[in-house]
Amino acid sequence: MTTLEIVHETRYAYAAPVALAHHLAHLRPLADAAQRVLGFDLQITPVPGHRQDSVDSFGNAQCHFSLLAPHGALVVRAASRVVLAPRFGALEAARAPAWDAVAARLPYVARTPFEPALEFALPSPYVPRLEALRDYARRSFPPGRPLAEAAIDLMRRIHADFRYESASTDVDTPLATAFQQRRGVCQDFAHLMAGALRMLGLPARYVSGYLLTQPPEGGPAMVGADASHAWVQAWCPGTPGVPADGWLDLDPTNDVVPGSGHVRVAVGRDFGDVTPLRGVIRGGGRHTLAVAVTTRVAGPVVANA
Amino acid sequence: MPVAPTQSSLPFDPAGARSPALDVLLRHARPAEPGVWDELRATGGAARELWQRFAALLPDAAAGDLAADLDRRVGQVAQQLAQDGVTHNVFDERGVASRPWSLELLPLLIEPADWAAIEAAVTQRAGLLEAMLADLYGARTLFSEGLLPPALCLRHPGYLRPMLGVQPPGGLRLHIVAFDLARGPDGRWWVVAQRTQGPSGLGYVLHNRITIARQFPDAFRELRVQHIASSYRRLLDTLEAAAREVAGNTTPRTVLLTPGPYSETYFEHAYLARYLGLPLVEGGDLTVRDDRLYLKTVEGLEPVHAVLRRLDDDWCDPLELRPDSALGVPGLLQAARAGTVVMANALGSAFLESPAVQGFLPGIAQRLLGQDLLMPSLPTWWCGEQAAWRDVRGQLADKVVRSTFPRGGRTSQVQQAHEAARAAIELDPDGWTLQDRLRFSRAPIWGDGALTPRPAMVRVYAIASGAGRWHVLPGGMTRVAQREDTSVSMQRGGSSLDTWVLTDGPVDTFSMLPPRLQVDDIAARRRPVSSRTGENLFWLGRYTERTEQLVRLARATLMLIDADSDADEPVQRAVSAMAVSSGLAPYGVPTLVQAPHLFERALLAGLADAQGAYSIAYNLRALARASQALRERLSSEQWGLIRTMGEAFEDTLKTAPGALPTLPQVLPALDRLALELAAVTGAQTDRMTRDHGWRLLTVGRLIERLLGLTARLQAFLGAGGAVGALGSAAGIDLLLELFDSAITFRARYQRHEDLLAITDLLVLDTSNPRAYGGVLRRLRTELTKLPGPATALEPFLARLPAEGAGLTLEALRGAGNERIAAALGRLSAELAEAAAALAEDIGHRYFTLAHGQEQRV
Repeated sequence: MTTLEIVHETRYAYAAPVALAHHLAHLRPLADAAQRVLGFDLQITPVPGHRQDSVDSFGNAQCHFSLLAPHGALVVRAASRVVLAPRFGALEAARAPAWDAVAARLPYVARTPFEPALEFALPSPYVPRLEALRDYARRSFPPGRPLAEAAIDLMRRIHADFRYESASTDVDTPLATAFQQRRGVCQDFAHLMAGALRMLGLPARYVSGYLLTQPPEGGPAMVGADASHAWVQAWCPGTPGVPADGWLDLDPTNDVVPGSGHVRVAVGRDFGDVTPLRGVIRGGGRHTLAVAVTTRVAGPVVANA
Repeated sequence: MPVAPTQSSLPFDPAGARSPALDVLLRHARPAEPGVWDELRATGGAARELWQRFAALLPDAAAGDLAADLDRRVGQVAQQLAQDGVTHNVFDERGVASRPWSLELLPLLIEPADWAAIEAAVTQRAGLLEAMLADLYGARTLFSEGLLPPALCLRHPGYLRPMLGVQPPGGLRLHIVAFDLARGPDGRWWVVAQRTQGPSGLGYVLHNRITIARQFPDAFRELRVQHIASSYRRLLDTLEAAAREVAGNTTPRTVLLTPGPYSETYFEHAYLARYLGLPLVEGGDLTVRDDRLYLKTVEGLEPVHAVLRRLDDDWCDPLELRPDSALGVPGLLQAARAGTVVMANALGSAFLESPAVQGFLPGIAQRLLGQDLLMPSLPTWWCGEQAAWRDVRGQLADKVVRSTFPRGGRTSQVQQAHEAARAAIELDPDGWTLQDRLRFSRAPIWGDGALTPRPAMVRVYAIASGAGRWHVLPGGMTRVAQREDTSVSMQRGGSSLDTWVLTDGPVDTFSMLPPRLQVDDIAARRRPVSSRTGENLFWLGRYTERTEQLVRLARATLMLIDADSDADEPVQRAVSAMAVSSGLAPYGVPTLVQAPHLFERALLAGLADAQGAYSIAYNLRALARASQALRERLSSEQWGLIRTMGEAFEDTLKTAPGALPTLPQVLPALDRLALELAAVTGAQTDRMTRDHGWRLLTVGRLIERLLGLTARLQAFLGAGGAVGALGSAAGIDLLLELFDSAITFRARYQRHEDLLAITDLLVLDTSNPRAYGGVLRRLRTELTKLPGPATALEPFLARLPAEGAGLTLEALRGAGNERIAAALGRLSAELAEAAAALAEDIGHRYFTLAHGQEQRV
């Protein structure tokens, strides 16, 4: 077990006062069998006139807040304390079901029940259909190959073929552009891999989260640790070492199967569903945005069970 | 299915029915096409019974003249539409263009029995769609039982996940649903499509009815055409009943939300808003605070409890839906989730418009209603179902290819070669839907002396009337296509018909009178004035006044140039300065003294130039823009007059490229414009309700007048107390003309052209509406009636002299001309400054809520 402390601070500075601001945050880490949230504190300055916590349709915690008084700056500081159990240590990718058999479970057949994972096999606003991605993915997915093995191979290829380059894209860069220029940030890596899996009819979720700067095992420092991170989950039901819901985390930016250094905050179809913090403001003029994330090991490292 | 007997109330003998009018109609009719249902004629060529009856009731159907009479009526209809400004906006690669609405003279006639069947079928389907929404935003049994492909919803941008599990206030998600119906070759009706988010057409339906019923009053009455007014009342009643639940003890407020003047059907948004008595608002007029929706008004924020929306789902909230939407209201989804506002229709109803849904309705109707559909949908295949695609992939030639997830545009039909279509479908089967081609029935269209059969589709409207009941508007919007292979869409050159539903029973003579109101309702029913509307009204007042002053100045200046004798130099200099400062002539133009010819040319060139100059045409366009944004508040006369006078002015002054309009062209045009502006002013002063909006308009006019008059007088005065242009009779005459006070002056002072008399009439006189004193007196009165507490209004008044014009006759006792001139100069400068400051104050107090750009961060 690893206990991590994460502080995620977002600062907006506005050139002109903002008269009214509505924001939506996805900042509270998920809680499930592999990830326990010991504490979470969301500090918003100035204090919002209205604030409401709820759970979105994907099961993520979200917080709507509004600032009704004029303000020149906004600071949102999310501090989390999370206990992580090791994950996917027992993964046997080669014993996963064949990818084409999994894909064949999803198409609609009249009067037969539906598989909820289908939702993540469909194109979404930030991950539209891209034929080039189907061709790209094919090489990792010969007929009958175990899904988890093929997905890991795809992850490895994306990591090899695409260059991580901070600020090379922004949230509005189309997927096709990121694919064509063969570079991007973690969000693009995640979108590309999700898009590639979906073009084969396979469900893939986008995961927003954090990454431990120094993994407890003393391994190499990982990319993307100074900001919030993103990776994907492929749907590999019935694969040894994968939880019963079938979602297998894969981080194409770092070419790893996340163990206990990845903190999951929210899952969705793409970035748009789980943006850590967004808002629509009235006024404000030009603004600057600074995001800082620090992740560190808090408690003693407990031996794996 | 109830079958009503088709009997007329009139004594009617089919055998003797061949009226002369019918003979004329049939003689002028182009032959019926084989293989389609002809609305006019039965097999064999005889007119159908209801058309026989219609023809018999045609106005004074003296046989020979009928064709000419109908042609004349076609012209009258077009004229009526032009006069009422009935338009729709068309989009192409060059942007948005406003086109006249197209309406045919002859209505589509629907028999009582046919209507009874339509009514039952549409009622059933509306209930079905409501039940589907409840299921798909709730238990989703349709997914789990495999009755609707989840991909249809889950991939559709109009299936809004944030609305999952949300119970709509009032229990209703759909308040109004439209169905496009068409009749096949065998006379059976089919459902082609459905509209579930903000169906368009209700405004056009109403206007079409008013226009066409007027053309055939006898037929309209005697055929017992069902009236449609009560359907609109019903819509409002149901909406308000739901709104009452969220409004608590207060009177609910409903608004009509439009995407704005560039939306395709903006005309009808404004028209409906006026007819229903709802404020027409854009996203920027609304704001969400604490999960509640408010209207930004000149009196501050006013709660809104219900929204009749014409804005598409995914544009409604840039925070949670399309982030690039500048049309929506940030936080609206939160308010809808919190149940503090009734949305008609509920957010998230758009996906039901997907053509693919049609194919699954029979099974869903069985599951949710335990019923068979009373009217079939056009056979539809969603290609995402492998079995369905296998069945039809070889038959693309007989099918219409539609996008399952149409974006942006309303039409889902895609024109593609079969091979290209097949390839596209194979790549992404979920994205495509095939529908059988139906040869629509042919409605008779009168035009150019002939009766032509055209493919017709009828849009009918189901309106929720509470407790799960539905009311079908007895009528609808019939649209015809030019040809078989073109669309009925108005975007693609379609045209519309009034739709007459005949009844055997009594006609519902309801008019749009509201139900009996309580005292509280009446107190609360004052129409709020949104900040944006207030600002537009303020500018409407200012532009109207500014244009009037400009016309007066242009006329006086041109007359002066044209006069036999040259005016003296000070007058010429004053005129030149005014022309430049008012925008009649461009900066840098030589004065009348320096180069009279050049000056005149510059002035003439600017008059009709709406883009390069700030002269009259420019201001007329600004005036038209302000009034365009106020359509739902202005009478159609005022709106129409403002629009047409601008167009007429530019038309009259049209010249060959490079040439200038001539004086004989310009002077009558200015005279006519002056008259029209007087009519507009009259409509504004005498024919508008004196609410806060009207006060702002009036204050705008008075401020602009003060600015104009002080500028005129300052231009006439020389520097440093010199009498300047007022030293000559010509100068005084001209000033009196510009102050519109020549007649009074002559009556009062005959020809005593001295400065004291001028001061008395043009400055001090509080009874002269164009003297400083008169303007200030009215301004003070109107300012105290603006919205807000007295403490907020006092600073406005403090800008102005406490009484009179800020100068007294007594103070000028014994003063020579130069001292008077100096006093007038000082006063004019002070008042000009005060007027400008006052305009700023008012903007700051009443319009700032409407200002400020929204941006996402």
